[in-house]
Amino acid sequence: MNVAALHMAGNRSRKISGAARLVILNGRNKEPAPTPEMLIDLIVAVAQRQDREAFAQLFAYFAPRVKSFLMRSGLDAPAAEDLAQDVMITVWRKASYFDPALSGASTWVFTIARNRKIDRLRHMRARPVDILNDPSDARDTPPSAEELALMSEREERVRRAVASLSREQGAIVQLSFFSEKPHAEIARELGIPLGTVKSRVRLALTRLRALLDSDS
Amino acid sequence: MTIHHHPSDETLMRLAAQQLGPGLAIVLSVHLRGCAVCRERHARFEAIGGVVLDDMPPAALAADLFARTMNGLDATERVKAEAPVASNHPALGIRLPRELDDCEIGPWKWLGPGLKWSKVRVAGDPDAKLMLLKGRAGVRLPAHGHSGLEFTQILAGSLSDQRGLYLPGDLDEADDDVEHQPIVGLQSDCICLAAVEGDTRLHGLLGRLMRPIVGY
Repeated sequence: MNVAALHMAGNRSRKISGAARLVILNGRNKEPAPTPEMLIDLIVAVAQRQDREAFAQLFAYFAPRVKSFLMRSGLDAPAAEDLAQDVMITVWRKASYFDPALSGASTWVFTIARNRKIDRLRHMRARPVDILNDPSDARDTPPSAEELALMSEREERVRRAVASLSREQGAIVQLSFFSEKPHAEIARELGIPLGTVKSRVRLALTRLRALLDSDS
Repeated sequence: MTIHHHPSDETLMRLAAQQLGPGLAIVLSVHLRGCAVCRERHARFEAIGGVVLDDMPPAALAADLFARTMNGLDATERVKAEAPVASNHPALGIRLPRELDDCEIGPWKWLGPGLKWSKVRVAGDPDAKLMLLKGRAGVRLPAHGHSGLEFTQILAGSLSDQRGLYLPGDLDEADDDVEHQPIVGLQSDCICLAAVEGDTRLHGLLGRLMRPIVGY
């Protein structure tokens, strides 16, 4: 990037710093959740001019959720908090990797949290394959308005599809993202035999695909 | 180029959740780079990760975590997205996908009549079971089954089995349901990149053929 994001956020950025200031004054846990568009602009503001107020607002939104995600993934509270801090520092360091034509802000932060979790859990030095943060894909032209629209449409469609899943199928999808051994955990949490998990996962994914395709 | 064989939804979900070992993930990322359809499917699954993160109940953080993180930012070296210098591996006489740039590629070794293999070592993960395979035109591979996931991405030439014809860009995903006997197309040699799931051993004839030589 991120001529890309720079270009896109240019006009809106001053407004954001104001919003960020307000949020800090209000205390970190009381503000209404920022919209996906606001979160994108905040990351861009960090990439573009190391905007600490924008970062503060990203921290307020993401750090508690990342910690929660990591705890659900099997880390204890101190480790999850430690890693959540690490994730937020990575957001600061790598903000220029964020490409709003490829993903929304939460998706990007999710990939960072996921990668740091894998590093921690597997004690492995192999770099996780990471498509959203591949520097060799760095673009030198701004993304088109169409690319940006396609991205936010996709994210919105995915959000609606996940929300329309049945409770069991929603749980299957969620557990698939938390767990290192998702099949065993799905069996335990849903109280179904391990032998039927595979077909339930397949059913949930078929349903998800139908929802996503019918909505496009 | 039309691609006819793609990874399954569950595989792409596991990739988005980073539950596949680096060997399998590398084969998938080679496929994704060449396949716009699967790039979009993969983007959807990563977006589900973003939705899962957004839906997390915010966890309480240590009161001073925010201040500590902010104070640490100045000491943090920021990373700028820059394209790395591409390296390649001329030794095998073929142009390899850039996903293998960080890997150590062994020389071609004899594996069977008309069949050669080269071990691909993944940096930081000595256990990754990733390899290049080269079959002479017309060679019939031994029939075999699988005890875990096996991905084969065709780089050059073609393979076919009872389930279809695999051309460059295609990815064959085989699991324990699949018994097959691939045949290399007559027109040219076939080169593919293959990985098997880390905690499984090759079984069946291919396994018996390969295990003494390959070691897994």
